[in-house]
Amino acid sequence: MTYQKFVKRWEEVTELPPQTVGPLTPYYKRFTRRLKVMPWPALVAVSVIVVVGLYLLIGSAVTFIVSILQRGF
Amino acid sequence: METSLIVALSAFFKTVVGLITRPYETCRAIVEKGKPAELTYIAVLLALYFALASLVKVAAFRPFVLTRQFIVLAGATGITYCLTVALFWTAGKLMGAQGKLRGLAVVWGYSLLPTLAWFFITSLLYVILPPPRTTSLAGVTFSILFLIFSATLFFWKASIAYLSLRFGLRLDLGKILIVLSISLPILAVYSIGMYRLGIFRIPFI
Repeated sequence: MTYQKFVKRWEEVTELPPQTVGPLTPYYKRFTRRLKVMPWPALVAVSVIVVVGLYLLIGSAVTFIVSILQRGF
Repeated sequence: METSLIVALSAFFKTVVGLITRPYETCRAIVEKGKPAELTYIAVLLALYFALASLVKVAAFRPFVLTRQFIVLAGATGITYCLTVALFWTAGKLMGAQGKLRGLAVVWGYSLLPTLAWFFITSLLYVILPPPRTTSLAGVTFSILFLIFSATLFFWKASIAYLSLRFGLRLDLGKILIVLSISLPILAVYSIGMYRLGIFRIPFI
């Protein structure tokens, strides 16, 4: 039973060949590993960096973007 | 019928939790085992959101106008969903995709959850803290927090969309980028059309 489960799981995992991106493959693997299980810390960290960068770039004009987004639904 | 809907409800909750905690495994499982019946619950959540959005947009209890607004939003979302799946499927087939249309359709339906979450919370915030935002300390702080929230959901959506194409079409990263470069310009033109018609200012994709 356990063996059958293992084989089924193995088939699931190996159905698609692993993604490679040439010489960048180790960096790609390191990046995507954080997104596979509980991705929220990585997602929030990247978002904070992007938004702080945007704030440093355009300052309080971020309020204008938010005003547009808030009317966007 | 009732039994299959209850089974689908259990699968739906399990999948939603999985998309939050283990998106990679969950997307793969949706493509392999997901049933179209599970999309019923996404449709119910969307209908609840459209009812709320109609009330917020119309801002008056006028049943005819509210019903019309609801039908417009629901119809536009249904057309957008079908168009998106058809575009990805067609572009994927051009790239030699091996997946099944059912798997892609179900997993893309689940990918509407981050979109729905953003639109739902933005609608609520529109009522609680209506725009425009000011450049005061409170306004800037709220803006930064709102942008962080929006970007986080956007990246979650992007990762689920990528996994949907990866498992739904069984393509590698290079081919997925080509599929996106074919599909996104068409979706952009379509979104401009939606904007001009006053249906969605931000595309509900």
